[in-house]
Amino acid sequence: MNRTAFDFDRPRELEATAPPELRGVERDRVRLLVTGPAGTTHRSFRALPELLEPGDLLVVNESGTLPASLPAQGDAGTILLNICTEYGGGVWLAEPRWNVRSPGPIPLAPGARLSAGGVTFHAIGPFPGIERLWFFRADGDVTAAMRTFGQPIRYGYVSQPYPLETYQTVFARVPGSSEMPSAGRPFTSGLVRALLRRGVGTAPVVLHAGVSSLEGEPAGTEIPPIYPEPFDVPPETARRVNVTRAAGHRVVAVGTTVVRALETAWDGTAVVARRGFTRLTLGPGRRFHSVDGLISGLHDPRTSHLALLFAFAGEERVRAAYAEAVRERYLWHEFGDSHLIWGARAH
Amino acid sequence: MTATDPGPGPRRAAVVTGGSRGLGAVVARLLAGEGFDLVVIAREPGPLWETVKSLRSFGGRVVEISGDVTDPELRARVRAAVDRFGGLDLLVNNASELGASPLPPLAEYPIEQLERVYRVNVIAPVALVQSLLPALTRRHGLIVNISSDAAVGGYPGWGAYGASKAALDLVSVTLSHELEGVGVAAVSVDPGDMRTRMQQAAFPGQDISNRPLPDATLPFWAWLLGQPVGEINGHRYRAQADHWGASA
Repeated sequence: MNRTAFDFDRPRELEATAPPELRGVERDRVRLLVTGPAGTTHRSFRALPELLEPGDLLVVNESGTLPASLPAQGDAGTILLNICTEYGGGVWLAEPRWNVRSPGPIPLAPGARLSAGGVTFHAIGPFPGIERLWFFRADGDVTAAMRTFGQPIRYGYVSQPYPLETYQTVFARVPGSSEMPSAGRPFTSGLVRALLRRGVGTAPVVLHAGVSSLEGEPAGTEIPPIYPEPFDVPPETARRVNVTRAAGHRVVAVGTTVVRALETAWDGTAVVARRGFTRLTLGPGRRFHSVDGLISGLHDPRTSHLALLFAFAGEERVRAAYAEAVRERYLWHEFGDSHLIWGARAH
Repeated sequence: MTATDPGPGPRRAAVVTGGSRGLGAVVARLLAGEGFDLVVIAREPGPLWETVKSLRSFGGRVVEISGDVTDPELRARVRAAVDRFGGLDLLVNNASELGASPLPPLAEYPIEQLERVYRVNVIAPVALVQSLLPALTRRHGLIVNISSDAAVGGYPGWGAYGASKAALDLVSVTLSHELEGVGVAAVSVDPGDMRTRMQQAAFPGQDISNRPLPDATLPFWAWLLGQPVGEINGHRYRAQADHWGASA
């Protein structure tokens, strides 16, 4: 996919640099841009129950955030090792970088060693097509090292570290994401209860999100390949998605991770129980089979997330909504505002 | 753990056939990086030596054996090398014979070459399994047979190669049932279209530069090797598919 097709202007100052709680805004009081066939309106996230109908279903990502950023020592000195994905058998995909602000690349050769949190990481080789990510063989307990020495992954636009709870959603149950599945962040237990009273249930999937590190992407014109991520669509969720849609109600995915998990579980006729690793790319020309609406943060220009949104809701509708978001000074990134967008074919 | 504990268990060991170039070299390199001891087999000593030299930079033991996988004497050498490792965790039957190039239709296929295709692609993998089964059993190892989309495609010209790979797929599934009792698993892997010497031989003179390099399958191999063998046993995977899992 050509990145320039997914470009737009978003002023730098619209990056959320701190959690809304620290700006005096409760999690579920961030702003909610609502985009449908009739155009775009502006609400508070807390108004979500009014925007859904009894019988609609929210599908949420239960993946919890890991303190995945480890200080590491190697030939290049003291660096950061941001753990991306566990492959099993002691093999991990990770992003070595200079620090929170500077992505690297770190000079690294196959066979080189990094030491992080008492674990030795042996460099195997780079991920094909994404040179900033490397496969490592770890001698030691990486999960324990993260628990003791790790911090939540952070980038330059977030001015200071925040505790791990800041990076957990109310749905977090299965630790495994390097970066928070942030679409779920504005939900509170109170809001989930209000949704239930409205007749809107939630159903879980798991997709462990890897690193995003957008600033580390090559300057090339192509969007880099999507790397595979672990996912699990359980039988009960598959069943409820099918039943909801068959009954004429709507399925709303909380996050692009949920869209990817559900679409990966589409077998051509229905959503089925499925787990494993997915590298499904949802871009131009893709038809969606499992989801009618999407709740998500605002996405950066030139990303695969934006390509997914264009395919899901139509480029014109998304561009109009994003122009409105910039005009109304919505905030971007994991601590920012939210967006409910109905698919091009939603009723 | 006590002071006399010898430390972590035995090092893992793998055999890769056709390991000097293309897909086999990608897999061998990942295995070396993951700390496996390796037996790498290839027909041409020159490229094999070059590959083995780079594999040794990871610090593990690497034994190179040049020869043809259809040769019983070669199999005896492989078995001796594996026995010195003390067991076998992984056998990758990757060495493959494309057959006549350009690809003739079955009705005109030279029978000697058809036999050769089957000997390399079907008989040799089974013979290696027979020879290495005690070592595989000791480690509850995994057999990976490299297949092809031609095994299910019925593409004109691909009859010999495709039918041999279809036979190999059935070998994998049968082994997965027959060896379950001794804890040895078997899978088939279709690596997908790749820019390799074999692809070029299948399409002589054509530009195949739009196909991905074989290292595009690296994430799949890293995933496969991380799975409990009981969960993948008997499956057929496409390395470049949208997803991999127990149900795929």
